[in-house]
Amino acid sequence: MSDIANDIQDLVDNNTVVLFMKGTKEMPQCGFSSRVAGVLNFMGVDYADVNVLASDEMRQGIKDFTDWPTVPQLYVKGEFLGGCDIVTEMVLNAELDTYFTDNGIGFDKDAADKIREANA
Amino acid sequence: MAVADEIREKLQAAFDPTVLEVVDDSESHRGHAGFQEGGESHFNVRIVAEVFGPMTRVARHRAVHKALGDITGRIHALALDVSG
Repeated sequence: MSDIANDIQDLVDNNTVVLFMKGTKEMPQCGFSSRVAGVLNFMGVDYADVNVLASDEMRQGIKDFTDWPTVPQLYVKGEFLGGCDIVTEMVLNAELDTYFTDNGIGFDKDAADKIREANA
Repeated sequence: MAVADEIREKLQAAFDPTVLEVVDDSESHRGHAGFQEGGESHFNVRIVAEVFGPMTRVARHRAVHKALGDITGRIHALALDVSG
């Protein structure tokens, strides 16, 4: 594995929930990253954010690592869950709630319900 | 050929879909990252095909990315709704 792939593997292994995104969770730099970070923030999920814009190596490395052409990318317990479309879909149909519950990841259920009410 | 037509053509050939909608949504991203004058930067695709039925979500998206080949590298964003 290349150095960057090793680094990414470490990030994925050492953080239960990690979001590779453009910008940071406090200051996203792209609408799609902003949407996923916003949902996780609102749901009170404890997660690590990795700003792929910090280096060209990371920006390309994460795409190669996941075999996925776009950012954001959400990993939970070492597994790639999806990008913006998949995460959005899973929030709206409450699949993400089940997924988090099954994996012992804490989140604010009322907040998740509020997102669904607002988008019903 | 317009990029939307290229996308349509590749997906039609790869999946024989029952529903295929390709929308150049670039204009609604005016002023955002990746927007370019003349559009062709942001696309929304909705596709329904039998072949996606047994696949996981991630596998469905990967199949679409693969079918699009170098197009995904040329555009800024692709919003996908893929179902079986």
